[in-house]
Amino acid sequence: MNIIEFDIRGQICPSTLLTALKAINDHSRQITDGTVKLAFKTDNRDSMGTIPESAANMGYKTTVTKKEGYYLVEIGSEE
Amino acid sequence: MNSERDKKPSINSRAGKPSSELSPDYLSLKDTIEQLARENIELSSKYSAAIQYLRNKIDQLLTVMGTTPLKPEELDNTTLIETDPIGIISNSFVQILKHLHKTNEKLKNANQEITAIFDSAGAGILVINKEMKILAFNTKLGEYFFKDKTIFLGQPCYETICNFQNPLAECPFRKVFQSGKTLRLTGWVINNRYYDIVCAPINHNNGEVPSLILLYLDITEHIRMEQALRQSEEKYRDLFENANDMIQSIAPDGSIQYVNRAWREVLEYAQEDIPNISVFDVIHPDCSECGQAFKSVVFGEKSGRVETIFITKSGRTINVEGNIGTVFSEGKLVGTRGIFRDITERKKAEELLSSEKERLAVTLRSIGDGVIATDTDGNVVLMNKISEALTGWSQEQANGRPITEVLHLIEETSRTIKENPVSTLLKSRQTITLSAHNTLLAARDETERLISYSVSPIIDRQSNIIGTVLVFQDVTEKRNTEEKLLKAEKIESVGVLAGGLAHDFNNLLSAIMGNVELATMELDPNDKAHESLSRAEKAIAMATELAYQLLTFSKGGAPIKKAASIIELTRDSADFALRGSNIRCSFDLPDDLWKVEIDPGQISQVINNIVLNAVHAMPEGGQIHISAGNIVIGYDHPELKQGRYVKVTIKDTGSGIPKEYLQRIFEPYFTTKHTGSGLGLASTYSIMKRHDGLIEVASDFGKGTTFSVYLPACLGKIELNPLDVEKPSPEKGRGKILLMDDDEMIRLTAGEMLKQIGYKGVGAAEGNEAIEKYKTAKNSDEPFDAVILDLTIPGGMGGKETIRNLLEFDAGVKAIVSSGYSDDAIMANYRQYGFSGVLTKPYRVKDLSSVLRKVIFHK
Ligand SMILES: Nc1ncnc2c1ncn2[C@@H]1O[C@H](COP(=O)(O)OP(=O)(O)OP(=O)(O)O)[C@@H](O)[C@H]1O
Ligand SMILES: [Mg+2]
Repeated sequence: MNIIEFDIRGQICPSTLLTALKAINDHSRQITDGTVKLAFKTDNRDSMGTIPESAANMGYKTTVTKKEGYYLVEIGSEE
Repeated sequence: MNSERDKKPSINSRAGKPSSELSPDYLSLKDTIEQLARENIELSSKYSAAIQYLRNKIDQLLTVMGTTPLKPEELDNTTLIETDPIGIISNSFVQILKHLHKTNEKLKNANQEITAIFDSAGAGILVINKEMKILAFNTKLGEYFFKDKTIFLGQPCYETICNFQNPLAECPFRKVFQSGKTLRLTGWVINNRYYDIVCAPINHNNGEVPSLILLYLDITEHIRMEQALRQSEEKYRDLFENANDMIQSIAPDGSIQYVNRAWREVLEYAQEDIPNISVFDVIHPDCSECGQAFKSVVFGEKSGRVETIFITKSGRTINVEGNIGTVFSEGKLVGTRGIFRDITERKKAEELLSSEKERLAVTLRSIGDGVIATDTDGNVVLMNKISEALTGWSQEQANGRPITEVLHLIEETSRTIKENPVSTLLKSRQTITLSAHNTLLAARDETERLISYSVSPIIDRQSNIIGTVLVFQDVTEKRNTEEKLLKAEKIESVGVLAGGLAHDFNNLLSAIMGNVELATMELDPNDKAHESLSRAEKAIAMATELAYQLLTFSKGGAPIKKAASIIELTRDSADFALRGSNIRCSFDLPDDLWKVEIDPGQISQVINNIVLNAVHAMPEGGQIHISAGNIVIGYDHPELKQGRYVKVTIKDTGSGIPKEYLQRIFEPYFTTKHTGSGLGLASTYSIMKRHDGLIEVASDFGKGTTFSVYLPACLGKIELNPLDVEKPSPEKGRGKILLMDDDEMIRLTAGEMLKQIGYKGVGAAEGNEAIEKYKTAKNSDEPFDAVILDLTIPGGMGGKETIRNLLEFDAGVKAIVSSGYSDDAIMANYRQYGFSGVLTKPYRVKDLSSVLRKVIFHK
């Protein structure tokens, strides 16, 4: 399983969302397969509302972990 | 950023494309430039409008995505187009749509699944709306309620299920619409069936309840089963409570789990006592093994039938019998269960029966007759002691054996085997009584006894023969007695004959003896004739003895009894009989022997006869032992009256008497001797009989014989009879004597004898003459000093009548009665008849002298 990491700290919504969506779109096959997991580091709090919801609507599973100075948003397949 | 900027012209070029196409007519340049400037303004405004449109759409899309709109300062137009948010979002939309599609698929499947579940559910499911109209129902519900109807959705449930025209006001489900709370009903009855119903509201988010879902579970079978179970439980409870047996269930610690009514009633406890008592209150404290038994039941060591004793609340004891068993639940002992029955009454009855049996057994044992009971096959079931003794079989040995084996009966005369009366009865079914004296019972040891018997059937209440009972007596003794009686009669009749003969004979002997004595007295002492006369005297003595013996049988031969000791008498009589023999005789005559009431002359004759026979039985010599003892006879003796007796036993070691002769030796004239007269024992028997005594004989042929005589002891003071004092020689007297006798020879002889001893004798032939002479003399100077009167005067007045007349005339008359019948009642009781003395014929001079001296001079 590959974890592709995106550091989008400094970006704010909707840019963060668009970046995340683009990344999801680009890797959608691999995410669904379960071979790839995306990890976004963001310091934009608003994104916590948008990224996980969009990912959920697309049928992915999102976990958000609060880290030192940023949030780690991981997106993977729904098991 | 650079790359994004680089892409801008491409957008412009694309935007310029239509404008180049918008100038088909070539215009003036100015116009063209103006045109172009206008167009440029127009285009740039259109461009910015397009950009604006794009931004709006992007914002719109971002809003759909749930994020904030783009801020213009964030992205310039070029970067905006380069970034291609619309592309990104539409790509995301593709994914969202895909995902939704997938989700829809899943939902569709889930819906189908739910429908399947809905229909295949084991419960009926109904969905209704506020108007109580059916929105949905599953197959099961259709089966429950709509079996024979076609139901359309939208029909009201009260019509289709409850069969009402209008909804019921009190319908509980309707209320759920208001309450919004799930309602559960159990045992709801619809069309005679029972249902558990759960009514759940389908809540909408706004709190409204547009519909209800009802779950029906048909519990009819369950309820019916419950009812059946309850009924059977009631039945069981009924049986349990009303059982007459005591039922108990006891916990392993002895506490009582439950007991039934009978248990409480018998043991006198109330229902409320039960929790406070334990089985140890009920087990009898004396019954130590009962507690132990309960423990062994608890430990599973014992079960099944038990018999024990319970104690009631008030302390009564009760015998119980029953069954106990252990009760296990999941492998653990939970208690014991027992069913008991009060058998106190039965126990009592059993005890009564056994005591009754005991009483019967004792009765049977004490019966003097033999009793044997048999079953219907004639097998012995019971024997009493007497029958054991008579047959020689014990009850144990005889039990179950055929009676024919135990009771051997023989016909006495023919000596053939008799048919057993039990067999006869079982054939004839009638009581048989037989007392004929011809049945012999042969005992096991072959001794034979004469028996009489009777056999009766034992009959039960239904008149069935259930056995027989044979009662028999040993009649050997009885017949012996009867035979003895017969013999006594025979002796008696011989006695009459002998008596008549002896009377005359005696008179003759008296005359002979008197004359021989007189002749002796008159002769010169040296005369040769003395020898002949003395031989004659001896012969006369023997003849007298014979006559006397004969007389003993004759009528009226009562003994002249007096109280006497038999010690001397026995010794003297025996010695006398033993004279000249070489027989040794030993005596055992204790000093304390009672005096007996006897005629000494007769009893000495008895002893003499017996000893003489013993001597005769021992020609080669032998031993005689004579013993005597005091003996008291009770009421039970067959031949002796109750009272005190002296028993004299004379035992010899002689030839013995053959069995077949034993019964005959007392008969007169029975003898085995050449010179014997056969009167010895006959007269002995007769004497004993007249003494109210008894003679017995026992003999072992070849070994010896034992005779026993029983003499009645006298009880009162012993009065000395003056006659006892015998004077050895005649002494001279003086006086005038009247002698009455029909026999002239006697008168003459007696007259001579009187003269010899100093008296003057005057004869008289019969009573009248005697009276006449007495009266005449009385009135003269020479009255009679005494009269001797013969008792029997054939054809004239005898002594008895004469004395009566004389007494009338002279109360002081001194009279002596004389007779050959020494056992005549008058001779025995002469004083009663007015006589003063007695003289047995034949008499000697000294006898005459002695009686006269006593009568006249009281010496
Ligand atoms: N002690 C005895 N031992 C054996 N036999 C006896 C004995 N006593 C009597 N007998 C038998 O009884 C018979 C009868 O006896 P009983 O005295 O009556 O007559 P007897 O002795 O024969 O004659 P008698 O008249 O002279 O006495 C005898 O002949 C004898 O056979
Ligand atoms: Mg004899």
